[in-house]
Amino acid sequence: MTKNSSMQIAILQSDRKSGDLPGDLAIWIFIFAEMLVFGVLFVAYAFSRANDVELFNASQQTLSQTAGALNTLVLISSSYLVVRAVSAIRKGCSTDCARWLSGAFLLGGVFVAIKLVEFYAKFSAGITLSTNTFYMFYLALTFFHFMHVIMGMIILAFVIAKARRGGYSAHDYDGVETGASFWHMVDLLWIILFPLVYVIR
Amino acid sequence: MSFAKEATDIMMQNNRFTTLIWLALVALTLVTFAIGEAGFAGKHVMLGLLLIALIKGQMVSNYFMGLKQADFLWRAIMLIYYLLVGGLIAAAYLLGLQ
Repeated sequence: MTKNSSMQIAILQSDRKSGDLPGDLAIWIFIFAEMLVFGVLFVAYAFSRANDVELFNASQQTLSQTAGALNTLVLISSSYLVVRAVSAIRKGCSTDCARWLSGAFLLGGVFVAIKLVEFYAKFSAGITLSTNTFYMFYLALTFFHFMHVIMGMIILAFVIAKARRGGYSAHDYDGVETGASFWHMVDLLWIILFPLVYVIR
Repeated sequence: MSFAKEATDIMMQNNRFTTLIWLALVALTLVTFAIGEAGFAGKHVMLGLLLIALIKGQMVSNYFMGLKQADFLWRAIMLIYYLLVGGLIAAAYLLGLQ
């Protein structure tokens, strides 16, 4: 490949200056702010656990590791579909982009369904935020994360609608990248949450 | 080879690469799940699980989020976040062992 054509390809792959973040900078400020809040909660969980290891270990036993692991696979796969959607719109394929995003949205729905089953099991066992410190953290952390999944799905829905109308092109896909970045953050947080709350003992 | 064809080829390779990343993420998730199901516990297991989370987090932020193409500063922020949060989680765990 000649040097010239590889430069042309680099330009075609992205109109943004190299080194810039994908999507709108505003979403990244939001992403880092949200990650900071979750980070503080993760660390607070860990230090609270250190005060009462036995209680945390005993309560953790009542969680379904299978549900937690399944939801990790669901979010990771959903993130992957979003990557494919961005790749499709970079080629100018709006229809493909909307299809990949719809797949990601559906997997988001699967995550929500699995999580609701988990919440229902805990609530019907009479477990609430005030049952003990472990459940307070478990319910607060996973519900807060759950709300981010819902918000991510709403963002994806708007991006899907615009992609279907042909609102993005190979030169204008900031909106797709912005939605994609938020969705990856939801995945990124669950990657820590799952081992921390479900597995480490 | 035409310019359009070359561009498509590079993108196909990118897709193949991200597919490999996705498969690696699935494999690492299954390892975490297996460790949990086997009921392994202790300092080394905890460190191993955090290391897996760090690797997964780096894969998602660098290749899915596309930070690999962004300025080093952004990648550094993400790495420091994972090291800091993971490090404090590990420190708290060790505190609980005493």
